[in-house]
Amino acid sequence: MLLFTILLDGIAYGMVLFLISVGLTVTMGLMRVVNLAHGSFAMLGGYLSSVMIRHYGVPFIWSTLGAAIVCGLIGGLAELTIYRPLYRKGDLAQVLLTFGMIFVSIAAMTLLFGPTPVAESMPKWLEGQIDLGFRTYPSYRLFLIGVGTLLAIVLYFIIERSLFGARLRAAVDDPGMARALGINVNLLFTLTFIGGCALAGFGGAIGAGILPIEPFYALKYLVLFLVVVVIGGLGSFRGSLAAALSVGILDTAGKYLVPQLGSFLLWFIVFGLLLWRPNGLLPPKSAT
Amino acid sequence: MRKMRATLAALAISFSTSYASADVIKIGLIANFSGPFAVWGQQFRQSMEAFQKVNGKSVDGHEIQFVFRDNGGADPAKARQLAEELILREKISFLTGFDLTPSALAVAELITEAKMPTVIFNAATSIITRKSPYFVRTSQTVQQYIEPLPEWAVKEAGIKTSYTLVSDYAPGHDAEEIFIKKFEQAGGKMLGKDRIPLNVTDFAPYIERAAATGAESIYIFIPAGAPSISLVREFAKRGLKAKGVKLLAGGETQEVYLPSIGDDVIGTISSLHYTETNTNPQNIALRKTLVEMFGPGATPDIGTVGAWDGMRLIYDGIKQFGPKITGDQFMGFVKGRKWDSPRGPVMIDPEERDIIQQIYLRRVEKRDGKLVNIDFFTTGMVKDPWKIANPNAK
Repeated sequence: MLLFTILLDGIAYGMVLFLISVGLTVTMGLMRVVNLAHGSFAMLGGYLSSVMIRHYGVPFIWSTLGAAIVCGLIGGLAELTIYRPLYRKGDLAQVLLTFGMIFVSIAAMTLLFGPTPVAESMPKWLEGQIDLGFRTYPSYRLFLIGVGTLLAIVLYFIIERSLFGARLRAAVDDPGMARALGINVNLLFTLTFIGGCALAGFGGAIGAGILPIEPFYALKYLVLFLVVVVIGGLGSFRGSLAAALSVGILDTAGKYLVPQLGSFLLWFIVFGLLLWRPNGLLPPKSAT
Repeated sequence: MRKMRATLAALAISFSTSYASADVIKIGLIANFSGPFAVWGQQFRQSMEAFQKVNGKSVDGHEIQFVFRDNGGADPAKARQLAEELILREKISFLTGFDLTPSALAVAELITEAKMPTVIFNAATSIITRKSPYFVRTSQTVQQYIEPLPEWAVKEAGIKTSYTLVSDYAPGHDAEEIFIKKFEQAGGKMLGKDRIPLNVTDFAPYIERAAATGAESIYIFIPAGAPSISLVREFAKRGLKAKGVKLLAGGETQEVYLPSIGDDVIGTISSLHYTETNTNPQNIALRKTLVEMFGPGATPDIGTVGAWDGMRLIYDGIKQFGPKITGDQFMGFVKGRKWDSPRGPVMIDPEERDIIQQIYLRRVEKRDGKLVNIDFFTTGMVKDPWKIANPNAK
């Protein structure tokens, strides 16, 4: 029973991390761009969805989809204007610029929405409990698990089973060879970036009940998102799912069973995992 | 030529005399206007500007000016540097602000050396006022506002068991200590306690741990903002509220944060020195002015009332001693001073220069479609219990 509670809590938490981080891992693996501002898109998604719900009366689900679309479009625009010139500039320039973008997003959100977190805007049907037989459990977390699983399956088919996915994986594994074979890697970059930002926006909006939307969101959770990417292996879709779920479950189990270790436990686990597999749990071929 | 020189001299004299009869008095403020604690700077500034709107921008013809400085995060070294700049370059007569304890502690030596009267608008660690004879505090201490809650919980509400969840930093430890001490003294039984690291984002495991013990109540002390909002939401979503578990809190359920938490929070009981809905004429004037100046969403909070009362002390001090009031005159003036604050009657402890005030027990309710705190019990005047328990700590 205790085990089930830990598993459910951990998976729900992990799913939110997965939705937000999967875009980051693919863009980092594919484009070799250290996009620290990825969390800003998740934050933007959260704010957009909250504005749609509170000011325009859009239902919750539609607002999260709307947030995903807008974040994707803004992401695509940013890829063309801001990120593209960065591809050949090296890690330091990328880190500096994208880190600066976090500060811009913090200041912009503080100006627009104030320093306090945005109001709760979950619909009634997500506020209650569901009886699982052995215990009652928050319906919101079950919903997160359901949506996360569904999206993971959809992404699996797109990335592992479709022609687009095959090209994407080829470009991650060996961009030079992919280009030589006539794959339009630039277009692939833009499409992937749009997809990654849309997922981040969706994850931010739908996960607002666990990670509250506030101006410091992008900075506060940055390390968590990066941990998922690094543990999973840069550019690996399956790796980021495995990493997000293990971070969620292990962190939850740690807090539950040995709270005295507090926040250290997660870092011990990350440390151990990286010693064991320096390239992440399921790295793409290019990294091995 | 000669005549012109005389005219100039006369002009100069008239300028200098008019300068002497109507001084400019500068009040320096150090607080966070950017970064994760920016909410404090906003509250202080709005409160000071509202205070001037109600009480005028001058005292006996002497203009009162504010010099705001941004601490830019939890940065004690910067606070010290800003204080130096305010004292030496801006020639302030009063130093105010200080949302976070480390920044207040960092200026203690400096203000003692400069004999600079310093009014703390928030920082709530007990020991601060012992660090310099030029500190006076118009806010609260952590243990002061928590002390009445556990006793009420056991004796009046019949709660027999409890569990504490506090953030793992100094104010959290203070809170845990006083809650457990008073809860057990009153005859209650503690079923456990957890300290939550400051960087935790998912509070589900802690709520589950507390719930698993079957405790009738859970006491929380978490920095108000995103963390406290997550924790209270999680408490409600886990169905603990429906099972009758009582959530006991402090500043976590201040009115400014209630819309972010949502209806989950209704019924939460907390103790604090200021309830935004109280009907003191002072408080009604404060709220009305805030709304007029900053829009219908403006809500007073503990930072607002701390700054408001600090301004009250400074204005009254200048009224009594004039624009050249010294640090020693002001500190002598504040000791033992009593006045009516928006929060209710208050006084400054003559020995400790800390505020002595009533504490209110409140319940979150929905009135006219708005989530607010409603007082249901008021204590007598409470002095900081930590200072009573530690008479010689420095």
